[in-house]
Amino acid sequence: MSTLAADTAAPGLALPPLVKEISQRKIDVYSGVKPYSIHTDEAWARKKGFRAPLAQAMMSTAYVSELMTRFVGAGFVKGGTMSMVFIKPVYVGDRLTVHGVVKERRAEGNATTRVVVEVWCENQDGVKTAVGTASGLLAGGAA
Amino acid sequence: MEQFRPLSYDALQVGETFVSDTKLVTPEDVEAYAYAVDDHHPWFSEDSPFGGPIAHPTLLANQALHLRHSKYIVRAGLHAKMEFEFLEPIRPGVRARSRGTVIDKYERRGKPYMVTEYVTEAEDGTVLVRGRFTQMLFRD
Repeated sequence: MSTLAADTAAPGLALPPLVKEISQRKIDVYSGVKPYSIHTDEAWARKKGFRAPLAQAMMSTAYVSELMTRFVGAGFVKGGTMSMVFIKPVYVGDRLTVHGVVKERRAEGNATTRVVVEVWCENQDGVKTAVGTASGLLAGGAA
Repeated sequence: MEQFRPLSYDALQVGETFVSDTKLVTPEDVEAYAYAVDDHHPWFSEDSPFGGPIAHPTLLANQALHLRHSKYIVRAGLHAKMEFEFLEPIRPGVRARSRGTVIDKYERRGKPYMVTEYVTEAEDGTVLVRGRFTQMLFRD
């Protein structure tokens, strides 16, 4: 099951962006509260050279997963891929916007099309924090 | 009995393998993850195209990312790159574990990195997710 938008999306189509507010409580739940953690121990984060606790980079992969599940549907959950590079820290209190633009459609086998999306997260200052690609499968082989 | 030691670039060996504990994925895990990443898609709590609720595809990513903690004391690290292939949906009730192998270590701009290839599989051997990640090691 895929969305109508994904079925017809041509390269260049921008996906509806997601906005994520990064709170300490969400980081705590995601990472588990521990001492000696740059995510949940503020003093330790500062000792390691950061101005505040960091969100786990992996949280950004969850945001991209949401973007792709909403766009491609089941063909992301089973058959999807993601490749991300984390280029800047995400701090508690940041507001991330998660973007996607369709990059490519290609036939994969006789009955499916893979849709590839360029994805990135940027913070409230417009600084990209993570960049990469994600893809999912659509029924139908005509790319 | 596992003997833990501080993680260092020198101690780490390419070819070294890690195995996580087995984790039972519960509905509460899915609920907590949904809160943490603010993704409350109905497939995670109601029905899905796979029959019944599923978990977020990235739910078990931290099990893989923490593989090195099964042998080392890791005080800090930065995650540099992540690759996933989502092969099967993760369903509440599955017992899953991750296995990984260090496939590379290198220094770039004076900073040490390690690369791990991993699979996360269900108890019956079904591969749920596989991928690769790169982590930067902190020097003390």
